[in-house]
Amino acid sequence: MSDAPSSKVLNGPLYDRRFVLVTGKGGVGKSTVSALLASHAAARGRRTLVCELNAVERIPALFGRGPVGPKVTALRENLWGVNIQPAQALEEYAQMKLRVRAVARLVFDNPFVQRFMQLVPGMNDLLLLGKAFNHEREVDASGRPVWDTIIVDAPATGHGVTFFRLPRVIRDHVPVGNMHDEARDMWNLLTDPTRTATHLVTLPEELPVQETRELAHTLFSKDMGLPPGALWLNQVPPPIFDADSRARIGAGPPADASPALNAAFEVARMRLGREAQAQAYLAPLRALGLPLLTLPLLYTRDLGPAELETLLARVGDGGPT
Amino acid sequence: MSSADPLFEGARLIVTAGAGGVGKTTTAAALALEAARAGKKTAVLTIDPARRLANALGLETFHGQAQRVDGPFELWAMMLDMRTTADSMVRRFAPDAEAARRILENPYYGAFSTSLAGTQEYMAVEQVHALLASGTYDLVVLDTPPAVHALDFLTAPERILGALDNRAVNWLYRPRDETERRSPGYGARLLGRGRQVVLRSLDKFTGGPFFEDLATFLQAFSALFEAFRQSSRAVQALLRAESTRFLVVTAPYPGTVREAVAFRGELVTRGFPFAGFVCNRVHGARPEADASTLAAALGLGVPRAFAEQLAVALAEHGRLAARDAVGLGALLGIDEHPVRVVPLLAEDVHDLRGLAEVGSHLMKNFSSADTSNSP
Repeated sequence: MSDAPSSKVLNGPLYDRRFVLVTGKGGVGKSTVSALLASHAAARGRRTLVCELNAVERIPALFGRGPVGPKVTALRENLWGVNIQPAQALEEYAQMKLRVRAVARLVFDNPFVQRFMQLVPGMNDLLLLGKAFNHEREVDASGRPVWDTIIVDAPATGHGVTFFRLPRVIRDHVPVGNMHDEARDMWNLLTDPTRTATHLVTLPEELPVQETRELAHTLFSKDMGLPPGALWLNQVPPPIFDADSRARIGAGPPADASPALNAAFEVARMRLGREAQAQAYLAPLRALGLPLLTLPLLYTRDLGPAELETLLARVGDGGPT
Repeated sequence: MSSADPLFEGARLIVTAGAGGVGKTTTAAALALEAARAGKKTAVLTIDPARRLANALGLETFHGQAQRVDGPFELWAMMLDMRTTADSMVRRFAPDAEAARRILENPYYGAFSTSLAGTQEYMAVEQVHALLASGTYDLVVLDTPPAVHALDFLTAPERILGALDNRAVNWLYRPRDETERRSPGYGARLLGRGRQVVLRSLDKFTGGPFFEDLATFLQAFSALFEAFRQSSRAVQALLRAESTRFLVVTAPYPGTVREAVAFRGELVTRGFPFAGFVCNRVHGARPEADASTLAAALGLGVPRAFAEQLAVALAEHGRLAARDAVGLGALLGIDEHPVRVVPLLAEDVHDLRGLAEVGSHLMKNFSSADTSNSP
């Protein structure tokens, strides 16, 4: 284990939320941040569950493990993982609600019902979110909650907004009954600032930053009212050049430079461009008024358990200055 | 030079597909620009409301209407407008205006046309089909939604049609008591009873006649079914046509490459015309040099710190280049199609020149991992 992160944001009030959602545009590192949050909570002794939702699994690999599938599986001390699948979630839920296994089978094995289930807008998403939600209220024999912290690696932006709205849409459109009650309770959990936080992940690049700004405005608006978590800016290139070096790079290589020296100047120019771009995106992200966390770009070949520890130790508050 | 690229020869539709965050939209726009510059009347249909990319094309934003890009070529850009495409499909396929109205005003319709899994993909292809059928364009470049499960895009039409099947709708739609009364034989009675149990359990599950409401909507929608099915067949045929090219866009990271290779496998298995990979954000190989070598090359009077910092930058780049070479290596030699390599650029594309730079890389047919001539 490496050093514990010194981030005030990571160890602040957000740390006490039990139900933690992580979202952002595709490819920005949602799974990495989910794994970081999970690793952090577990290392501090909290019984932690990290959920992927019907995903091409990425999180177990970050703990040096193979895919875990739909069964809750231990990943390391205090930490379990699961890849929730809609079919299993439906079966479990049906059995819970309809009590009699044979009836549940009769209903949900019916091919027509299965087809319609596929057609109900958002049905799969509701099942995935519902399963994660059930983990939140899971209690052991003594009535104590099974999980201290639940991290949900939520779907990507675009799809994500629809996903988060779903419980409310169902609560408002299905007037009474099981589904209404479930959706109402789910929405209450999603919008409860004492239990829940939604983290956003982005990259220092145009499209991810733009989408993140729109997403933050939508999710944390008065209308939606999700309690915000932190905003994670991932893959920030750590600055390596001092002012003198930057000036020298700007002036370019000497006319008789060797191929290696030319390559070094060219790589350095590109690095400076990427650094400047990352800096330029800090202002519009800071303007969102969310706690901002940064993760450095790691110049490594793979992202595994060792890199996860490095990242956790290097979580930065507020971004590079 | 560009016109000789086999990618454009006889092509009417180019589809860029792949995971999220690998540069699909930029790739689609850069390809469209190249095609237009090669003399083809081209339209690019994006899914992302990528504002800076729109700006790069000299447009304020992307929207549902085709907008011409200013330049000495014929290039149009537009964004998928799901609701408008869905509405026009309903109007086109409905037997009469009244039937269309019943569907368009049904509260389920809004959710169906915009948020049902797979509808976005279906609407995109439907819109492309209409664009090509209109004969306005020589070539359409289609950017696709990020595929978590890449096959959703290809199987959506079949799945939606399967669920809309008349038998399924009728099974759910028939009023319950009537079914019971009309069921003559023992077998049918048993079936009817099973159906009643199922429906009552579903009511309990959903807390109301939710499924029957849904069935009422589907009943109205089933008037469109035959036309919808025909259109779906045409769309499926278009996706498999010889004049269609699927490019799988990826980044060179090991996991992303594995997904791209698997996706390519699915495409080929299902008979979709795969035309090669595009690998974006590649760190090309560079000569190695340590701080001492660089210091010596820089000569006297240059601080040692500068050489050391350059060496760090070069070494870090080298590690990513080694990683990317592995990813790229996994893409090469899979089949006879070229892998189009776009190096990581110093900044995001923000003008036509930047887009043309991406385009020029796309049109260079790399067949080996040699990217040392990249900028």
